[in-house]
Amino acid sequence: MEDFEFLRNITIGQYLPGNSIVHRLDPRAKITIMLLMVLPITFSLSYIGNVMLLLVCLGFVALSGISVRYILSGIKPALGLIIALALLQLLFYGDSFVPPNMVSVTLFRWGIIHITNGSVQLVVVSTLRFLDLLFLASLLTNTTTTTELAHGAEDMLAPFSRLCIPAHELSLVLTIALRFVPILAEQLETIMKAQASRGADLGKGGKLQFIRTTRQALVLLVPLFINSFRRAEDLILAMEARCYVGGRDRTRLVRLRLTRTDLVAMALVAAFAATTTLFPLPM
Amino acid sequence: MEKAEPIIRVNDLHHTYLRNTPLEAVALHGVSMEIYPGEAVGIIGRTGSGKSTVVQHLNGLIRPREPGKVIVDGQDLSDPSLDLRKLRQKVGLVFQYPEDQLFERLVGDDIAFGPRQMGLSLEELRPRVKWAMEMVGLGFEEFKDRYTFSLSGGEMRKAAIAGVLALQPKVLILDESTSGLDPRSRKELLGRIRDLHEQERMTIIFVSPNMEDMAELVSRIYVLADGKTVMTGSTREIFARREELRRYGLGVPQVTEVMHELRSRGQPVDVGVLNVEQAVGEIWKILNS
Repeated sequence: MEDFEFLRNITIGQYLPGNSIVHRLDPRAKITIMLLMVLPITFSLSYIGNVMLLLVCLGFVALSGISVRYILSGIKPALGLIIALALLQLLFYGDSFVPPNMVSVTLFRWGIIHITNGSVQLVVVSTLRFLDLLFLASLLTNTTTTTELAHGAEDMLAPFSRLCIPAHELSLVLTIALRFVPILAEQLETIMKAQASRGADLGKGGKLQFIRTTRQALVLLVPLFINSFRRAEDLILAMEARCYVGGRDRTRLVRLRLTRTDLVAMALVAAFAATTTLFPLPM
Repeated sequence: MEKAEPIIRVNDLHHTYLRNTPLEAVALHGVSMEIYPGEAVGIIGRTGSGKSTVVQHLNGLIRPREPGKVIVDGQDLSDPSLDLRKLRQKVGLVFQYPEDQLFERLVGDDIAFGPRQMGLSLEELRPRVKWAMEMVGLGFEEFKDRYTFSLSGGEMRKAAIAGVLALQPKVLILDESTSGLDPRSRKELLGRIRDLHEQERMTIIFVSPNMEDMAELVSRIYVLADGKTVMTGSTREIFARREELRRYGLGVPQVTEVMHELRSRGQPVDVGVLNVEQAVGEIWKILNS
């Protein structure tokens, strides 16, 4: 464990100030666009369709002015898992997935390993899907402040409050959770540094020494938990001291307003999503 | 003392946080310092001047990058094969709010954590823990079996410092470790640090925004501003340069401030005064003349 810079690896959720068209869009528009895009991403199974979706996502990234490399660097911690999943799919899913309009062709068979054109396509498609979702989720959080996100989510949930869904409270939970990710990451970094300073051997438990590795984690987890509880108590006190009451009568400093750009952007994406979902491409 | 080899030599140190990301922030560009064995040296500077970044280089939490060099006890810290744990035994670093790192149930166990990681046997462990606890003013018999989280704030701070001391480092770095304590605990802690310096000959590097503490504890000061070393000299020399310090957003101890004011009103006093006794002496001098 040489490098203690955690924020380097956390790219989702990190707001990057800017003034691009994506930054300026209303948070509700951005959330809607993201949800709309999830539809074709989930349903599209063809090569061409997925490549097209990836291009669209890359287009969004280009509009935002955020570097693709920065977003991709966020995968690094999860890379091992992704590769393992892809391998499992490639080797063992040969029988269970047949691409639409196609006949299953066996490419390789040995024991229980069975690779078909279907499993190859499945791996490619799920990798592309993963990239699409990574781009979208990163982009949403990279270009929107947590307050904007929370207000947006609250507004979008507001119609459901008749169904007893506590929109305001949910958005408060969301805001606090998002706000605390970088704080806790920083706190963890300090604790790691402090424990390393007094001789803790972090991340060197050895591959199969689960007990040692767990014990080492305790050195970090106990202080981190104590700290989080204390922070939570402080936050509660601060909110109480200012007579915080959520709900209907609470007004806001910033009022969200949908502009024409927001409407056009949502309409375009809705049209695109509907077409690609309803008329799947062959191949 | 000046003739000896420096135990720590920092040369033209540069550091950028989150390098190659959109959030990168330059913390250091050009810090140099030399610290000799047995010295007590202070580092002052405003928040964001790079103090913490510098001291984290000294025990290998951050590795120096070209062209910067950090040499501790003859070892080049940019050497990739360096044994970091050995280094951290030599250079003990106490953070701000060190009580945040306590995790064991019993005070004694927590303090023994460092030496235990070094692989010491139980017989070797005990005297070390005892020594460390006594150095910070926690009685060994009284405190070793107390629950860590039942201690008061000041006691927790002491226990955390003892946890670093138990490594028996040659150099002890305190990075704003006295902040947030009540005046009495603070004064006591300063006294303990002075004992470590004077009786145990430990090299002390003291980082603090409090100029009074500086004047009381250290003999030499490095001033950092915007990631650079901008002033160095003995504590007296530095505090005699009030105007320059002000330009870097810093001040001088209050007694020194009084002397500066007297001087500006035409009184022939020495402005390099560091404590009340010296100030009283100076004032008697003008009253008698």
